[in-house]
Amino acid sequence: MRRASAPLEGLTVVEHTESVAGAYAGRVLATLGAKTILVEPEEGHALRQRRPLLPNGSSSIFTYLAAGKRSIVADLRSPVGQDRLKALLDSADIYIDDFSQKQRELFGVTDDQILEDQPRLIYLSVRPFGMKGPKSDWAAEEVTLFHSSGEGYLMPNGLAYESHPERPPLRVFGYFAEMQGGIAAALGGLVALLSGGGKVVDSSVQDALIALTAFGVQRYADGSIEHRSTRSFKYGGVLECQGGYVELLTLEDRQWRGLVELMGNPGWALDPELADSEARGRCGPEINKKLRSWARRLPADELVKAAQKLGVPVAKYASPAEILHGAHEVARGLFQPVEVSGMGEIPVLVAPYQFDGLPLTLGAGPPEIGTSLRAQDLFTGMEFNNG
Amino acid sequence: MAKPLEGLRITDFTIHAAGPFATHLLTQLGAECIKIETSLRPDIFRKPHTVYGRQQPATYDQVASGKLSVRLNLKHPEGRKIALDLVQHSDVVAESFRPGVMKRLGLAYEDIKGVRADIVMLSVSSSGEYGPETDFAGYAPLFGAWGGLGTLTGHPDGPPVEIRHIMDHSVGLNAATATLAALVRRRRFGIGAHVDVAAREVSASLVGQTFVEAASGHESRRPGNASLDMAPSGVYPARGDDAWVAIAVSSDSMWADLTNIVSEPLPRGMTPYSSLEERFNHHAVVDEWLSRWTLQRSAAKTVQLLQERAIAAHVVSTTADVVRDEHLRSRGAIVTVQEPSGRERAAVGMPFQISGHETGIWRGTPVLGEDEEYVFGELLGLSNTERKRLEEEGAIL
Repeated sequence: MRRASAPLEGLTVVEHTESVAGAYAGRVLATLGAKTILVEPEEGHALRQRRPLLPNGSSSIFTYLAAGKRSIVADLRSPVGQDRLKALLDSADIYIDDFSQKQRELFGVTDDQILEDQPRLIYLSVRPFGMKGPKSDWAAEEVTLFHSSGEGYLMPNGLAYESHPERPPLRVFGYFAEMQGGIAAALGGLVALLSGGGKVVDSSVQDALIALTAFGVQRYADGSIEHRSTRSFKYGGVLECQGGYVELLTLEDRQWRGLVELMGNPGWALDPELADSEARGRCGPEINKKLRSWARRLPADELVKAAQKLGVPVAKYASPAEILHGAHEVARGLFQPVEVSGMGEIPVLVAPYQFDGLPLTLGAGPPEIGTSLRAQDLFTGMEFNNG
Repeated sequence: MAKPLEGLRITDFTIHAAGPFATHLLTQLGAECIKIETSLRPDIFRKPHTVYGRQQPATYDQVASGKLSVRLNLKHPEGRKIALDLVQHSDVVAESFRPGVMKRLGLAYEDIKGVRADIVMLSVSSSGEYGPETDFAGYAPLFGAWGGLGTLTGHPDGPPVEIRHIMDHSVGLNAATATLAALVRRRRFGIGAHVDVAAREVSASLVGQTFVEAASGHESRRPGNASLDMAPSGVYPARGDDAWVAIAVSSDSMWADLTNIVSEPLPRGMTPYSSLEERFNHHAVVDEWLSRWTLQRSAAKTVQLLQERAIAAHVVSTTADVVRDEHLRSRGAIVTVQEPSGRERAAVGMPFQISGHETGIWRGTPVLGEDEEYVFGELLGLSNTERKRLEEEGAIL
């Protein structure tokens, strides 16, 4: 498959991280084409051990986050390791660090120390609560970060809430919060690059999530207090079908009319009162009863196709395996096979955006510790930037 | 202090939430964003939104704040021509129509590039600009479904969960990042780009590890709040109505510390030295033990006690908590803005700070067509007579 020329080709990122947020920032820049070098301690990056582990003993999240990066070992507790990092930074454009201020001092990698040596570098700090502010040194993990945003308190809605209203607020799967922190940080790094380098970018996972919850804050100021019990769409939402669940959402009148046609114009749906969107909102629970019993008999995949043909927004809640082999995803080159040590070629998601009609490229699979960067690479990098 | 993207201009055709959020971020960073609107199809915040129970137009719209508003009827030949004149003066063009709409309007990437060769054009859509399902339409919860993020979110014994506007905004955040990468390339090599962001792929990118697992024969399941590599970890009840606290114990030494803090007797079979495997195997009783303790005090008190020992804990924040949070205020992540009426309200700021620069919202939502004097008059040099004629003929509408 033809792949795009990467926009950040020729730029170099040095990444000293331990969290998903920091490593995701590096991943975003790496998939956009920057040569991204992971600085690891002797024992390897902390995420190499993060479960679940693949049959070869590698972490799945590390495989995803490190694919396309290079690796160099540097023990930053020793002067030799610190010198090694400094040599790398000579040819770097962005330095990513997600360690605490205390650890940065120990490793000699505070923003002041790094920028003193490399005044044109961008120091990209990725911290759970940022570098500054009363919570800057708070301990954090994905579940605590996600629930620090206000969004968790509003989840789940709809069918999942109805099934278990007594249960606690729910987080989004995986590393949603940390990954948002990583993307926001990458954005910050690119903005700093464009505005001239020699900057400190102070990014925060919590701030990134807060930015994403904009509507909640907006409605709060409008005087509308949301709660997970009442935030559901009035009708539609998650529907159980044959072979899985689908999402149905008709926000516009023409979409509702399409849905009525899709259902074969049943008498109840043709009630003139339901032509009005507000009235439909009031009759939500009754409509849902009908929709749920109608959908339950239908195969999910066929329902999606028929609905989309009529302009009715319906999507299947797809499993990872279904997405991996999805015709649409395959046609767009969303996944690219890369070599994973001990497992042969494994398809890894590249990036959710394309340039000039072509998907981006993953340079390689995840690197083994310290093996993918030779002294020669270091020299080449320096030559590029000095030339 | 200057904003980092000052001098950058965006012609913004985006609608709904995902696209406008991308240009909203760039606007806060200092780009001049000209929002193209029409009274023929008012933006969602300019009319009642009954799905959310809003009976009036919004007085403030987060993602429109700081943007400049002009009216243009893109279906009118002269409306289209003015749009292309604006493109000539712009660095970025952003749109989020269904694939094919810009082409029908005569504003496809090829048309845009024809008037400004080094333009960066951002297209945001459900399923991307090409592919067998490119026409599939959707909203945030559908992106979550297609990409797997919603499929994997939920209680282990429950259905999948709708991911709401955080899904849209995550698409916008990715779109802004990809656009910036294209701008960096333009700065270095002088070439433009067409950036194609597929919302469902953003959803998939947020569960990227599960495809690696699927390819090696492992099936991911909905875990609720639980973690695969920490125990105890989750959301626990606090004193008060519908009050909760999130806690994650990420190492054996933290577990030992926790057993020192929690005054309840440990469940049978558990010791301060119990391994992660043992804590996993007994997670139900461990969670019950911890819940008995968390229920006796406020979430804030629990957080204080645990953070003192460097154990990850946070109140499960409500929106009110977020709006009042001193830490967020001190960072500019939550700011105060003024409505045209003078009323102050909380709004959301940028997710990062850049040394030597300021960022953020400088004014609220523009009135429809508020900035035509500047955009049509000053920027494009259209006289008042000309503008009046264009209004009468329905090009500016």
